[in-house]
Amino acid sequence: MREVGPGARTTISFKVNGGAVEVEVSAEDRLIDVLREGLRLTGTKEGCGIGECGACTVLLDGKPVNSCLVPALQVEGREVETVEGLAKDGRLHPLQEAFIEHTAVQCGFCTPGMLMAAAALLRENPDPTREDIARAISGNLCRCTGYHQIMSAIESAARRMRAQGPGASGAGTSEPPGAPVVSEASRREIHSRDSAD
Amino acid sequence: MDEPRWVGARVCRIDAVDKVTGRLKFMSDLSFPGMLWGAVLRSAHPHALIKKIDTSKAEAIDGVVAVLTHKDVPGLNGFGIVIPDQPVLCFDKVRYMGDAVALVAATSKEKASEALRAIEVEYEPLPVVDDPEEAMLESSPRVHADGNIHHRIKVERGDVEAAFREAAVVVENTYYTPRQMHAFMETESGVATIDEDGNITVWCGSQHPFRDQLQIARALGMNPRKIQVVSTPTGGAFGGKDEITIQIYLALLALRTGRPVKIVLSREESVVAGMKRHPMKIRMKTAAAADGTLLANEVRVVADTGAYASLGGPVVNLAIEHSCGPYRMPNVRLEGFCVYTNNGLAGAFRGFGANQVIFALETQIDMIAERLGMDRLEFRRKNALRQGDVAALGHTMTASVGAVATLDAASRCEIWVRREELKARPSAPHKKRGVGIATELHGCGLGVGLPDYGAATIELLPDGRFAVGVSCPEIGQGNTTAFAQMAADSLGCSVEDIVMVSGDSRYTLDSGTSTASRSVYTGGNAIRCAAARMREAIADLAAEALGAAREEIAFGCGNVTVRSCPAGEATRSARRLSFREIACIAESKGRKLKAEGDFIWPVADRGVEGYFGLPHLIYSYITQVALVEVNTLTGEVEVLRVVSIPDPGKAINPVGIEAQSEGGVVMGMGYALMEDTVIEQGITKTPNFSTYIIPTSMDAPEIETMIVEELEPSGPFGAKGIGEAVCVPITPAITNAIHDATGIWITHIPATAERVYMALRKQAGEPAGA
Ligand code: FES
Ligand code: FES
Repeated sequence: MREVGPGARTTISFKVNGGAVEVEVSAEDRLIDVLREGLRLTGTKEGCGIGECGACTVLLDGKPVNSCLVPALQVEGREVETVEGLAKDGRLHPLQEAFIEHTAVQCGFCTPGMLMAAAALLRENPDPTREDIARAISGNLCRCTGYHQIMSAIESAARRMRAQGPGASGAGTSEPPGAPVVSEASRREIHSRDSAD
Repeated sequence: MDEPRWVGARVCRIDAVDKVTGRLKFMSDLSFPGMLWGAVLRSAHPHALIKKIDTSKAEAIDGVVAVLTHKDVPGLNGFGIVIPDQPVLCFDKVRYMGDAVALVAATSKEKASEALRAIEVEYEPLPVVDDPEEAMLESSPRVHADGNIHHRIKVERGDVEAAFREAAVVVENTYYTPRQMHAFMETESGVATIDEDGNITVWCGSQHPFRDQLQIARALGMNPRKIQVVSTPTGGAFGGKDEITIQIYLALLALRTGRPVKIVLSREESVVAGMKRHPMKIRMKTAAAADGTLLANEVRVVADTGAYASLGGPVVNLAIEHSCGPYRMPNVRLEGFCVYTNNGLAGAFRGFGANQVIFALETQIDMIAERLGMDRLEFRRKNALRQGDVAALGHTMTASVGAVATLDAASRCEIWVRREELKARPSAPHKKRGVGIATELHGCGLGVGLPDYGAATIELLPDGRFAVGVSCPEIGQGNTTAFAQMAADSLGCSVEDIVMVSGDSRYTLDSGTSTASRSVYTGGNAIRCAAARMREAIADLAAEALGAAREEIAFGCGNVTVRSCPAGEATRSARRLSFREIACIAESKGRKLKAEGDFIWPVADRGVEGYFGLPHLIYSYITQVALVEVNTLTGEVEVLRVVSIPDPGKAINPVGIEAQSEGGVVMGMGYALMEDTVIEQGITKTPNFSTYIIPTSMDAPEIETMIVEELEPSGPFGAKGIGEAVCVPITPAITNAIHDATGIWITHIPATAERVYMALRKQAGEPAGA
């Protein structure tokens, strides 16, 4: 970590979602400030500012961290992944697809942090139990959902990623970008109603 | 109309893609060129006179663009949904730690904070009023000049004294409930912008853009038409963004500086300044006959509303209305007090007064059933309201009533049927299991005496899709998806062809609040009305274009055809127009196809004289069953499984109802077991999530939702509402389960490990204070 006096500004370079960036920061800046204000990557949210809610979760060298607690200077030369980097080449990540299909999203404010915590989990453990999932997202507060639909979504994404085999940790292939409007179960139901008339 | 395709289907949320990709811009994500950072100077004392405010040092700081005090409020220096008793910027005194004294706008967050520190305010502290019952005494120091009792309601029916004399069982207890925090994940945040003509736009998550517009206009002394309010999206609200939060500060700073100004409250500031659920002390005396017929309920509620009125009066009115639950109660004496103190601020919160009294009542009900030796569920079913019954406040239940249906479903759910078996198998010898049940009804809409209406707009877009506008904001509950489903079925198109416009005072008509379990019912009815008009306009145009009679036009999915045309006829395609083709024709004729629809709520057959907002005509119903395990060594309670059985009328989107149900269960569980905003001597002791604990994924029980649909004929497709009821009976279901497990009664929530442990020791005859 670089030493900089209070108030003084310096330039750091690191990678965000695969691309190299250079930003000017001061010693007081947190990683979340650099992402949200410096780079306008506003997908990462701030819910508490003290490391308690997980809304600001990003991956630092592949590990989930609360970006509100990480001094910006600490990311020099390292690799940061945010929610904006989950979808690849216009295709949603299997976790994103599963969150949509399971209604794991309500107000959506906790969602980016949840997704990043889940992404980290599935990289470490492609076949997590419900208990593993609960533990992995226990630092991510959600006031809307009651967590079930989120945990089911993570389970289902894990299944899908396993079925797709190694290398599938990136973007999903089964769903084009844009909204799968109807969940799987009723897609079938509506389809059969359609063909009946 | 044909059988609905979209209503009742498990539809994915229309806003989900933008939310999972991080593309959706919340108000806290907005940024404009030249934007300044605003900040609010809050009071340094819970109760004090303001002697002097000196802003000169702050103004001198380089980068500080404006410093505003009460002298800079051009219009009414007050806001409040019912009475505007909360100053925009305090001038003579402060009444709680969240009171705003000055505003600053500066070129950076750091400069704004520096400016706040440089403002000098001289206070003369006053005695802190922090006990609502003491505050009611004449001798108490006054928070407001005209006394500390903000509102009082008293309702009597029948003869409670006679009923208590004749009853076989009378139980009487005092209940205490905590100051729950909404804990929406996005703090109060937003931006105001101003154009060259002085028109202001306020981007700030809230629950009623048109009322915000009115309150901002009043404080600015400005024509409301010059103010646009955008309230969608909101990162959670639950009632906590119903009142004005920072909208007026934003508008004042933009007006003064002529530049965009952004404010994002820190979590600590949000906790100190924001609304909470009213803590209540409830004295309840309930009587039943030997055969289990409920005879009477006497209730006295004292609610701590904190420093300002906001919706405190209506919350207490609804506590009174809901204090007899979904039961026939022929004799009642119900009294409620809403009292000012220096304890923060209390107002609207999901459940709106019902959570507190239903906790008390449903505990009373279990106690009576136990005394009578009756089955808890049977006892509830015996007394449950049926359609046509007269409710406790004297109005007739003419709308759909799902009390018995949800109880019947509960009687068949697994954790109820197998309860003895489940209880017999705790996970450790020192743990005990219990099953609890509770039920409630919940008023939908604003109730008798308050204007309650909806409006929707529909416009056929050039590409054949429809823009549907309803102002009730999307606060996470999923109303925009339900609106899109109802619009698709009402218009005859796919959900993908609906573009929702929500929560914007410029582009929608006033459809009221996203509160009171009202938005799906209200917006849906208005959409149906607008859609019928849109179909008429389309039919007119199609008849003209196809050279057919108006009555011959039939609607298919996404198109219209001429009815008389035999199927398979060669010319059929010439006799069919898609909505896209209709849009082209309209455009070529220079016509815009637009329709508006409106709706006015029906109300109960009688009100309560002297009061407004109660009773209701339409109620949602819900029964919830909980299986808990109590650690008898530590007092810790774990909720293992919950079955939640809501009656929302028609479930427009069943997966959305499940989402509400699960979120409500966990929120009501937090209320039962862990949540309380501790305020001592006016100072908040739990200002962030390290001290104010809400349930995590590790605490969440297994939840099953069984939807019971008691269709409401006046509702769109039979829908009522459900947003609030889902978090209410779960609280007493859990505390009743603790009793079932251990024999102790919980009358003071949250039932923390410490409280349960003490109660267990007391029960065992050991000194509690050891
Ligand atoms: S904002 Fe970082 S943990 Fe809450
Ligand atoms: S969806 Fe609102 S906080 Fe999780």
